[in-house]
Amino acid sequence: MHPVKPAGRRPVGPHDSRAWFSTRRQPAPGLRYFIDVLRARPAFALGYAIITGVTLAAILAPMIAPYPPTTANSADYLQPPNWNHVLGTDATGMDVFSRILYAPRIDLTIAVVGTLVSAVVGTLIGALVGYFQTAGGIRALASDSVMRAADVLQAFPVFVFAIALVAIFGQSIVSIIFAIAFVNTPIYLRLMRQQVMSIRGMRFVDAAVVAGVSDFRIIRAHIIPNAIAPVLAQLSINVGWSILLTAALSFVGAGVRAPTPEWGSMIATGFQNVMTGQWWPSVMPGIALAVTVFGFALVGTSIEFLADPSSRRRLAERARTPKPNNALDTASA
Amino acid sequence: MVHKGGDFGARHQIGRREFMRVMTAAGATTVLPAGSPRHAVAQSRGTTMVIAAPATPQSLDHEYDVSLGTIDAVGALYDNLLEYEKIPDPLVPAARREDTSVHTDKPYNLALRGKLAEKWEISSDGRMARFHLRPGVKSNWGNELTAEDVKWTWDRKLGLTGLGPFQTSVLNIKKPEQIKVEGKYIVSFAVPQPSPLLLKQMVNLSNPVYDQAKCKQMATKDDPWARKFLDNETAGFGSYTVAQLVRGQQAVFKARPDYYRGKPYMDTVIMKEVPTSASRVSLLQRGDVDIAQFLQPLEYITVSKSPSVAIDAVAASFAIWIELNAKIKPFDNVKVRQAMNYAIPRDEILKTVFQGYADKQTGCIPSIYPNFTNKYWTYDTNRDKAKALLREAGLEQGFKTSLSYNAGDPVQELISILYQTSLRNIGVEITLNKVPAATFYDRVTKRSEPMIFYLDSPWVPDPGYSNQLYFHSASYVNYSNYVNKEVDRLIEAGLRTTDPKERQVTYDTVQRIVMGEAPWGFIVYPKYVLARRSDLKGFTYYTSNNLRFQDFSREA
Repeated sequence: MHPVKPAGRRPVGPHDSRAWFSTRRQPAPGLRYFIDVLRARPAFALGYAIITGVTLAAILAPMIAPYPPTTANSADYLQPPNWNHVLGTDATGMDVFSRILYAPRIDLTIAVVGTLVSAVVGTLIGALVGYFQTAGGIRALASDSVMRAADVLQAFPVFVFAIALVAIFGQSIVSIIFAIAFVNTPIYLRLMRQQVMSIRGMRFVDAAVVAGVSDFRIIRAHIIPNAIAPVLAQLSINVGWSILLTAALSFVGAGVRAPTPEWGSMIATGFQNVMTGQWWPSVMPGIALAVTVFGFALVGTSIEFLADPSSRRRLAERARTPKPNNALDTASA
Repeated sequence: MVHKGGDFGARHQIGRREFMRVMTAAGATTVLPAGSPRHAVAQSRGTTMVIAAPATPQSLDHEYDVSLGTIDAVGALYDNLLEYEKIPDPLVPAARREDTSVHTDKPYNLALRGKLAEKWEISSDGRMARFHLRPGVKSNWGNELTAEDVKWTWDRKLGLTGLGPFQTSVLNIKKPEQIKVEGKYIVSFAVPQPSPLLLKQMVNLSNPVYDQAKCKQMATKDDPWARKFLDNETAGFGSYTVAQLVRGQQAVFKARPDYYRGKPYMDTVIMKEVPTSASRVSLLQRGDVDIAQFLQPLEYITVSKSPSVAIDAVAASFAIWIELNAKIKPFDNVKVRQAMNYAIPRDEILKTVFQGYADKQTGCIPSIYPNFTNKYWTYDTNRDKAKALLREAGLEQGFKTSLSYNAGDPVQELISILYQTSLRNIGVEITLNKVPAATFYDRVTKRSEPMIFYLDSPWVPDPGYSNQLYFHSASYVNYSNYVNKEVDRLIEAGLRTTDPKERQVTYDTVQRIVMGEAPWGFIVYPKYVLARRSDLKGFTYYTSNNLRFQDFSREA
């Protein structure tokens, strides 16, 4: 391992996420760089556009939704898409478009909070476990125990495990967030542990130890910032996955309560009508769900791309060398 | 599981070749692609009837299982002492139904026919019923029907802890000595008080007669009532016998050539488990099955468009209601319960949820039962009146509560959402609790929910039986915790007299009180709907809401 020269006063690791995320220690990529990236990789732009759109829909739903999302109207039940109801109505006459707009309030909240909780908990535990793994004694034993516990957790099928957790803690949004956080935590734990173990043996860490910096300060100030990039890339992917898990839980009846607008429960409730020809109550939220998850996948890929110095370097070189086709090397994407 | 043990195979007389033919036909019905070959299969079924059911029988012992597959099986495998005469359905010409009306011109005011019993009489004091059994009737094991079979059947009810104790308590039978064998073919039932249910209980699907000789042979010291045996096999005097039962896949029934009323038209009946209603629709539309059971209302509309499919929707003994728990505030207040009834959007529910395959529940007993009256019905949707009642109850600002529904019944969620919207208009906020089907009935029986759905059917077409089940304070099915001593007294009085006029007056009063005090949120009477191939004839509706395979034939 050959650590790169630390920038500023603090040592920086080889995969220095701060090199891109920090605005102080290295020239910031800036908005122009970001725009260059999006121009070079329009798919990333699409991902950001989708996430922005979904987030805006969640925030502005009360203003832009044409109908209340939980008010039944039997006079308009199962209307196909028309001028009054652009995406049709469901079996109780609720407007599908309005409910789709409101749904991210639940889906995004659950997915983002659940993922963030798991990321924070998993990252902290992963950093401690990785740092003390080779320390020997009781700390190494504790680290091993944590990893074996994570093995046990990951041995369970994630979906079944999540259903069991919701069944134990009751059908509520908090329970679903807890379930998502619980099943995701081992992912971040492993990811962080792996990163930390590779950074732990580097010279700048040894230098910090020699300088008498405490273990927890080393972890907080030197290890975590250098190991965080893969975690950040994983976040977006996990948010998309958590939206799917939330929808799946609702689909099997273990998610949110009816008639809360939520894509999974909308798909489940409308599913019965697909066979009888009324596809819109189920297909429309299905499309919204698929597009959103796709958006998060693209954003996740873009973060992974941007956090990788070699990808950034290639991008910069291509930007300096005008080409008829400015498509980037896709190998790292 | 193919039964091979003992002399079962020999008794059922199903040869390997025949069994393979049946199984091949059953398999072909589900694997053949669209096109003419499958039509050929449908036509060649002839005396084989294939049913797409939500579930196969979980048990063949009705004492411990009342699931849909089981009651269909029991109706084919076993016979009762009596049955009601059949009449054409007044609204559906293709269907027939039991004549359960009060007939003052007929013996005991009932239109009954003998089945296993060829004659019967009730003592002048109404405390004893004597049945003369039909000689020469053989069980599927070849044993002749005798009075001992009837005696053993009822002794078993007293000896077990399943449905039996309820069935005997309805008749006030507490000791085996009340059932007497008076001769080889004569059996009598003695009850302490006159009972209008003495004969009706002998028609009840829950009271079939077992072949005691075979059951005793299969009983063990640990299992004196042959529970294990009857769970998987059959020992009765019915028209069919079970040839195969693979739980979760299919059950195959074979007609008995030695059935005392003659072999049924359908030689083989295959009940295939198809859990999703959409798949059952698809199978029926493709002609792969003859009957698709328990579809969703919109699916009936869809499937009825197929020229080869017919739909029979008849008024039934089902009702779906909401238990308003009288022991939980604010439902301990009659005015609140009445307000909750005025807020139920029944017309909307009938139109959007049931698509017309139901009727408004305008009474507290099934509308098809004797002595039913809707003259005390006042709960047409009226939110202003609901608000006024809440005001009178001191709940002008409304209140918050919860409504629990069965996740396994899609219509309950739709009704709940419509009701929730309606209640918002009178200031009542309800949280909807979706309860998994597996634990739903446990939740109902605990009586701890303020509001919970219930779908049920009192099988005996009698106002006393029905009212006692749901509104007597001592009944185990009184899930709304409704208590009215006057109602208790009247129900009991009506069950102690056989005078039709007296009973009518008594149960009219019970219905007036109950409808006024509204222990339920009255919703609808769902119809019994049969989706069948149009060449299938003979559908007959029974108040036990099950199919009887022996009724069906195929149009040439």
